[in-house]
Amino acid sequence: MSDGPVTLVPAAIDAALPIEELVDRDLLDELCQSLFALFGIPIRLFSAGGSTYGVVAHEHEFCTFVNTSKDGRTQCRATVDAVKANSPPSAVVHPCFTGLAYHIEPVEYEARVYGRVVIGPFAPATLRELTTEGRTALAVLDGDKTAALLAKVPRAKPETVARVAAHLRTALDIILFNAHKTAVTSSTHLMSVRENFRELTEKNEKLQAAYNQLKEADRLKSSFLATVSHELKTPLTSILGYSEMLSEGIAGPLAEEQAEFVRTIHEKGTHLLAMITGLLDLSKLEIGTMRMRRENARIADILRDVCSTLVPHAKKKGVELVFDCKEEAFAVRVDPVRLQQVFTNIVENAVKFTEAGGSVRITDRIVEEEDGTDDEIGFAIMASKTSYVEIRVADTGVGIPEAERDRVFDAFYQVDSSSTREHGGTGLGLAIAKRVVLAHGGSIAIEGNTPRGTVFVVRIPSAETVRASIPTVSLFEESSPLFDETASGSDRR
Amino acid sequence: MQLNFAAKEVVLKLVYYGPALSGKTSNLKALHDRVDASARGRLMTLATRDDRTLFFDMLPLAIRGDGMSLRIKVFTVPGQVVHASTRRFVLQGADGVAFIADSQIAETENNAASFRDLRDNLRELGRAIRDVPLIIQFNKRDMPDIRSEQELRTLAQKGREPVYAATAVNGAGVLETFFGLLSSTCTKLDEEHQLSQKLGLTMTKLLETAAWQFGCEQPYQDLVKACLHGAKP
Repeated sequence: MSDGPVTLVPAAIDAALPIEELVDRDLLDELCQSLFALFGIPIRLFSAGGSTYGVVAHEHEFCTFVNTSKDGRTQCRATVDAVKANSPPSAVVHPCFTGLAYHIEPVEYEARVYGRVVIGPFAPATLRELTTEGRTALAVLDGDKTAALLAKVPRAKPETVARVAAHLRTALDIILFNAHKTAVTSSTHLMSVRENFRELTEKNEKLQAAYNQLKEADRLKSSFLATVSHELKTPLTSILGYSEMLSEGIAGPLAEEQAEFVRTIHEKGTHLLAMITGLLDLSKLEIGTMRMRRENARIADILRDVCSTLVPHAKKKGVELVFDCKEEAFAVRVDPVRLQQVFTNIVENAVKFTEAGGSVRITDRIVEEEDGTDDEIGFAIMASKTSYVEIRVADTGVGIPEAERDRVFDAFYQVDSSSTREHGGTGLGLAIAKRVVLAHGGSIAIEGNTPRGTVFVVRIPSAETVRASIPTVSLFEESSPLFDETASGSDRR
Repeated sequence: MQLNFAAKEVVLKLVYYGPALSGKTSNLKALHDRVDASARGRLMTLATRDDRTLFFDMLPLAIRGDGMSLRIKVFTVPGQVVHASTRRFVLQGADGVAFIADSQIAETENNAASFRDLRDNLRELGRAIRDVPLIIQFNKRDMPDIRSEQELRTLAQKGREPVYAATAVNGAGVLETFFGLLSSTCTKLDEEHQLSQKLGLTMTKLLETAAWQFGCEQPYQDLVKACLHGAKP
């Protein structure tokens, strides 16, 4: 919310609207026409300012005849002017010099006068002949014809005309009310939209600022981690080197207990180094400074290497490691060293969590998908075909509950913390694996195995797909290109 | 308040605020039914198909006499949380606010949340809630599991706003609430803008005229005094 008071657009709900301006005048004309069709009496609606906003411009034959004489014309004009000037506070009957009459009454809406309605001229029911004034003024005209035309003027009792006027008032009130309602509804709607927009814009700005702060904090965290890890590595290298030399007896023979202590120092040091290297890799992947070298490779070769490295380890544990890859020819364009690390990690993990007598099976298959949104216009034309190799590493181990499957890719996340103590590990392997696979334009997911165990499903796009999509493969929006496309150059960690 | 000096016409805006389904529209409908047709216009309701107020309801009332004219536009706000901006929009320029609370015990927190919303919206509009004439109505006195009258009385005595009890669906307490609010609002406007001078009549006379033109059977003072803590009108 803003600090100062909000000034909202002046509201139609508060303003005295020029309601007559909001009404469709054709509608009012139609209303007058329908009443004229019913009673044969002309009806005019005047706004408070005197302009007409609904009219039936009909002249009785009698009136036309009266206007043929000079005196008649003069008197008629005077009557019409007087009617036009008459704005009574309540209903009145205004006489014509001939004996005809006009009914005039104000039109109100919400106790405010918006204009008046004039009904007439009509012949009052009691009128039999011209008034004396009328006879004098129209003396030059044919008396019989005058009387005959006067008889043709619609006759009505003043009460009847008052009822017609009341009906007209009600109809007008309804029309004005609806016009008013429409005006306030649309203006309120418009204002609500504006106000919501203002609020959302304000909130978006705040969110964006908070997001920027978080992004900066995240960058600082990663950079801090990278620096610290690097600084830790240097003394650790010495610890490892000297402990190794000690255990090899370079500095002289060690007693058995001493040798065991030194081995422990070396072993734990190696673990620490793995963890620091992992942290370094992860932070580089997160801030986008990890360089990878993309080259043509065959996925089966990478997997075969991983298997041959891990077979002795699996055998030692009594776990059967089955290499069952058939897509020998499938070419990928990847950083083979990084990808080998990824699969080593996944397979090692699978072996680690599978008890003796169980198995870990590595299979592959080719998957082809149409990329694009299926409701996109022209999908049939626009969709591009992407082919992936899908590698499945299925174990018969303890399995991962479905709710935990996404979280195992978080750094240091353990499904069961006791397993870390039992099985070791840095807690970073899968976090790194996911980021590396994503950086290759692939995906990684976990499925359940039947009857027990876990299947890691990794998809890596084909070399052709990668070539077609370069340079879209990028993990982080502000990252520098993750890949060196040159054939030469090594990992510049 | 809008003032037309030449026509001696004053337009007041009163707003019925409160949580969703507390009976704001019911109050307005009951008021519409109880005020003489000559002193009111059509009740304008902008509601959805399920009878939930979408934008607001508006009842125009008019009091005329002694060459002056007082128009009162009574509004309700949409109570649903989602209509926050519309509430602020309707609240803009309000001369007085009636807070319609739901008496049911289960609604206590919703009442408080809506009251906070009222306070926040007034603040957004640059006004402090203590500067706005305010009265509170505990509606739905006919429902089960409600806060007892004794409890409300105690609360009312401790608080500074007049508190009214009502069952708007059958009209009980509706005129009392309205006149309580009108009286508080007129008193405040008279202090700040010398309303009686501008209209050429005292506030007592104005409220008497209003009660008479609305067709009330009781003097307005009795209606105002019906509040739970004995009224500080």
